[in-house]
Amino acid sequence: MRILPFPEGQHDAVEDRWLSELEAALSGERGGPDGESWRELREDVRALAPPIAPEFDQRLREELLRRSERSQIGRSEGRRARGLLHLTTASTAVSRLRVGGAVAAVAAAVVVLAVALLPEGRTPVRVPANSSPVGVSAGRGVATSGSSASAEKGAAVAAPAASAPPVFAPLATPAAPAAQRRQQRSASVSLSAAPAMLQTVSDSIARLAERSGGFVQSSHVQIQRGSSSEATLTLSLPSARLDAALAAIGRLAPVLDESRSLQDITGAFDAAHQRLADALAERDALLRALAKASTEAQIAGLRERLSHVRRTIAAEQSSLRAVTTQASTSEVEVSVIGNATASAEGLTLHRGLKDAGHVLLVALVALLIAGAVLVPLAILCAALFIARRLWLRHVRERALGGA
Amino acid sequence: MRGQAPRAQQTEPKGEEPEGSLDEGRFELLFRECAGDLHGYAISLLGDRSAAEDVTALAFERLYSSRAKLDARRGTPRAWLFAIARNACLDELRRRGRRPQDELRDELIQDRGACEAFEQLERRATVRSALSALPLREREIVLLKFHGQLSNAELARALGVSTSNAATRLHRALTKLRLQSADIDCQEVA
Repeated sequence: MRILPFPEGQHDAVEDRWLSELEAALSGERGGPDGESWRELREDVRALAPPIAPEFDQRLREELLRRSERSQIGRSEGRRARGLLHLTTASTAVSRLRVGGAVAAVAAAVVVLAVALLPEGRTPVRVPANSSPVGVSAGRGVATSGSSASAEKGAAVAAPAASAPPVFAPLATPAAPAAQRRQQRSASVSLSAAPAMLQTVSDSIARLAERSGGFVQSSHVQIQRGSSSEATLTLSLPSARLDAALAAIGRLAPVLDESRSLQDITGAFDAAHQRLADALAERDALLRALAKASTEAQIAGLRERLSHVRRTIAAEQSSLRAVTTQASTSEVEVSVIGNATASAEGLTLHRGLKDAGHVLLVALVALLIAGAVLVPLAILCAALFIARRLWLRHVRERALGGA
Repeated sequence: MRGQAPRAQQTEPKGEEPEGSLDEGRFELLFRECAGDLHGYAISLLGDRSAAEDVTALAFERLYSSRAKLDARRGTPRAWLFAIARNACLDELRRRGRRPQDELRDELIQDRGACEAFEQLERRATVRSALSALPLREREIVLLKFHGQLSNAELARALGVSTSNAATRLHRALTKLRLQSADIDCQEVA
């Protein structure tokens, strides 16, 4: 079998050798008639072109010199300006401040973007206590005598709660001494907690009520995945420990809303007390009259009246106890709203890390969005640039090929 | 300037300057080295003195403007300069409908005739005729090689083709030039 050499490869080898010889001849490394012939051809080709016109050469030289001088002046001015900047510390500080300001501006823009991109419903808004409708509404149309004045005063001294952390303001003190006045107090509090923490917070509230000497009148906890979760508890707490209990509740979770009300029931208490006293006095009088009665009819009549008075006394005692209970216990309605963005108030590091992660995530999303816009634009520009270059090359080659 | 046969002085980078960058001194040196060659290339290709001057000025201006972007890995400043000039020449040819002017034919002979030996004059006239007979694409590569004094790699970069393609084209063009010259000689003898 004969092996035929590949003609193209042989041709390439010949061509390469020929080009090497040409290079050697043109560079003067190769002597002999062949080398001389190539150099002569080069000189002949070069000699065909007329020399550069001295005027043009001079003009071009001057123009380039002018450009060079302009460039050097620009560079030296730039260097001088930079040198001045570096000479003074104040200027350096100013430049650093500018850099810092720019960085701060970028950071602020990212934060603003983060806040703007957050869904409205998930914005972790912590309602400051002083902006919540906290007030002491004393006396809601209390008809009993003497209560309206205290009610007005109570309303007038409605105090806003202190700023964060939410601390419940002490209730307004009516003008009358506390020992003499009977007041019915109630409050309602809305807390925000993570849905996973809803049950825990509710249990903590119940335990707190028991520790405070009260109890849970009613409770309703509703936890739904992917939907709103809420717990509602109605507490009965000793009025004397209401402030402390509310403060403790406020520490369990961020307070969204808080309101308090106060109703003066001194009139109702006095009236009940008076009625009881009257009934007791009547009973005493009837008993005395019964002791002096001599006829059967008188005795029967007195006993009947006595029986009636005793029932009245029992009713008035019950009424008085009810009023006393109203004054000594307070009803507190606590709503715990499940909020995905809410977290425990005290965990600042955890919360800070979470917020930082959120900001980074939002920044990443912003970068992704920017990339989604810029990358196709950049690809398009690059494609246009390449297409323009290819087209330019094509038309230039056509200028050669068509001639 | 023209007629400095091989590249007498190379614009090698100086110590402090980054490789490939072109400072004022090196640019001046490049100008002194290349202005004549560049002008010769342009005028040989275009056949028009004013267009050749425009191309020369444009090439130096563009090189000066982009001297900070010069990358030594992508060729010497001389190669860059000739690549710029080539593009400018092709643009000029495109503008004028691909026809190189031949207004220098007589000027050429008059310029050279007075001072050079008759034999040399005759030989150069033969070369000129052979060169004129070449297709523009091949004439251009011969001019670029001899006026630009570029290596094959630099030639390839200026042409925007591979080195082997440039070498093949150069080989073909020079072979044709030699054959054309031989034919013309034979005709004259006959």
